[in-house]
Amino acid sequence: MKNTFNRRTLLQGSGALALGVSAPSVLRAQTPIVKVGVLEPLTGNLAYNGTQCAAGAKFAAETINAAGGIKSMGGAKIELVIVDAQSRPEVAASAVDTLVEANVCAFTGATASALGLASSQAAAKYNLAQVFSIGTAETVVSRGLPNVFRFTPGVNKCTSIALENLKLLNQGAGNVVKTAAIVHEDGPFGSNMAKILTEELPKQGIQIVETIPHPTPHRDFSNIALRVKASKADILIPSNYINEYTLMARALNQQRVELKAIYSILGGAASNIKFVRENNDVAQYVMDCNHWYDPTKAESKALAAKVAAAGLDLTYDVMVSYATIQVIADALERGASADRQKMIASLAASTFDKSIMPYGPTKFVNGDNTSAQPVNTQIRGDKIELVFPKQYASAEAVFPMPVKKN
Amino acid sequence: MRFQSLGQYGLVLFALVYLAGVYFVSSPVWMGFTINALIVALAALSWNITGGFGGLSSFGHAALYGTGAYASAILQVKYGFNAWIGFGAGIAAGAAMGALIGGLAFRYGLKGSYFALVTLAFAEVLRICASSFEWTGGGSGLQLKLMPGIAQLQIVDRPWVYTGLLVVVAVVMLLTALIQKSRFGAYLIAIRENEDAAEALGINTYQIKVQAMAISGAFGGLAGVLYLQLWLFIDSTVVYGSAVSVEALIGPIIGGAGTVWGPLLGTLGLHLLGEGTKHLLPNSPGLNFVLYAVVLICALRFLPQGLVGFAARIGVLRKKDQDDA
Repeated sequence: MKNTFNRRTLLQGSGALALGVSAPSVLRAQTPIVKVGVLEPLTGNLAYNGTQCAAGAKFAAETINAAGGIKSMGGAKIELVIVDAQSRPEVAASAVDTLVEANVCAFTGATASALGLASSQAAAKYNLAQVFSIGTAETVVSRGLPNVFRFTPGVNKCTSIALENLKLLNQGAGNVVKTAAIVHEDGPFGSNMAKILTEELPKQGIQIVETIPHPTPHRDFSNIALRVKASKADILIPSNYINEYTLMARALNQQRVELKAIYSILGGAASNIKFVRENNDVAQYVMDCNHWYDPTKAESKALAAKVAAAGLDLTYDVMVSYATIQVIADALERGASADRQKMIASLAASTFDKSIMPYGPTKFVNGDNTSAQPVNTQIRGDKIELVFPKQYASAEAVFPMPVKKN
Repeated sequence: MRFQSLGQYGLVLFALVYLAGVYFVSSPVWMGFTINALIVALAALSWNITGGFGGLSSFGHAALYGTGAYASAILQVKYGFNAWIGFGAGIAAGAAMGALIGGLAFRYGLKGSYFALVTLAFAEVLRICASSFEWTGGGSGLQLKLMPGIAQLQIVDRPWVYTGLLVVVAVVMLLTALIQKSRFGAYLIAIRENEDAAEALGINTYQIKVQAMAISGAFGGLAGVLYLQLWLFIDSTVVYGSAVSVEALIGPIIGGAGTVWGPLLGTLGLHLLGEGTKHLLPNSPGLNFVLYAVVLICALRFLPQGLVGFAARIGVLRKKDQDDA
């Protein structure tokens, strides 16, 4: 058998091999990539919210890439680098190293203020911008860190707008609400909220007749429901997380507690479609003041359709995370660079007004988006309707809620 | 701190090579993750004093860790004290909390699972208190002002943070070795082996146990203060949460309770396992914990004496005595 493996064959083979090996990099060069980090608690006690946020970011990146990517960067596609904060601040801070190593231009996250505080502090050392999807604690934007951008409203703004809206609703209904009961979890979120409400509600002429703290997790809400019933409060203002909120609402229903309204501020389940789906009867007419998208926008409707097709819950986590990726993409588009320092400058100068949120043009003052605002939602049938402010409303508010027929 | 076998030499050499190797890995990820592991190792060394040498298994070491962190944070945030004063105060507060818990629990003769439950209850009560009072920052926690520099114990340069932590861990291990070799250490081990017999021999068991809790508290407080200085933020769940207590006890159990190297080896091993599984299953968050749990169960089943005990059986050089690793 003649050996045909001569020098010419070797050269031909080497050439073909070199071409084959280099081809993918040539192809890659045609579609530049810009990396954006997503730092969320995908495991631990905040896993549900973190996973929802990660899904929102993925939907946003898909939409932006399908629309041609970042045009000022040659149509660069957004590639998400998703890392798990494990619901622990020190892990969130360490995860920033992973993002830096992956060479992201900026990142979004991290669902809870405690996680975001740690991660943004770590990111400051690298001049890496963090656009907070959710981080309601005011300390997030009071540290003077130039890399911090909070797109959504903080707790002070949410509370003041929620109380203002409650005042308008109550006035519209002839001031039927005169007394309130507060049920709150005894952690950071609930305790602070209860404190603010205790100071502010009497200024509206609403007397607080009962304040009931409970730990998280907490399972038996019978006694709490009975205490609310005994207080004869007109309105209940809960501040707790999704599981406790759901159990509390069920207990109130079981104990036939008659209330004129259940009005949440950043409520754990009141703006969660899972709560509506699984506890439809109990959930009716529950109101919330929370982060929510503008349902009248075409992109919002498209997102709702995608979320439904993926079999996911349409929660505010998905919405705010989607919007923060939009903000980052806009900064990339204007800055035409993935350089970290340029991203910080580009974000600081943002006037973006095309996000899915019901906000005006973005204006970051000390990292806080002054145009951000919460909205009022109300559970009606199997939907969560936006009822306030009027220009974004998908339904009229029902206040007080109709008396239940037992 | 004499080693009994080639296996133990190998194990310690592996840890030292890893810790030295971190300086030469260009990735910041490994250094960041090892820094976290070293703080947990300090908490584990704290647990080891009482749980390992004294047989006083605590489920609430977060009470000591959190008290140290909160004492330092309150002094700095509320009263404007320098971080170094906060550092000393945090260690002292941890020791005082240890002595208080020990003093109360041992006064009423609590031991075994009763002692474990009381420590758990203390940690939980402190967590609720910390989240309720304005003095402790309430639910929002306490945030240190960013003031980089050694004057405020806020070191920005990562290799220096790492080096500093290595030195602190080495000092705590040295102190542990000295305790192990001291008369006090012998009393503590005697209490672990048979408290009634120790008492019959004239050892003031109450005093020794309270002293052990105070030393453990000082180490735990030190870990809490360093966590605070590193991340500049604490809240009640972060430092008083049950996760801290679990991490403090699991390292020594896996590494080898009642040994000098066990807590560090166990903590490093567990963190390496966690990080390794995370890289092995990058697109399945949470699955790494499943793999982690499986390995943990196997380790508990097949390594009852921990890694140090297992390594002692490989290439035995001398018979086991009290000066093991």
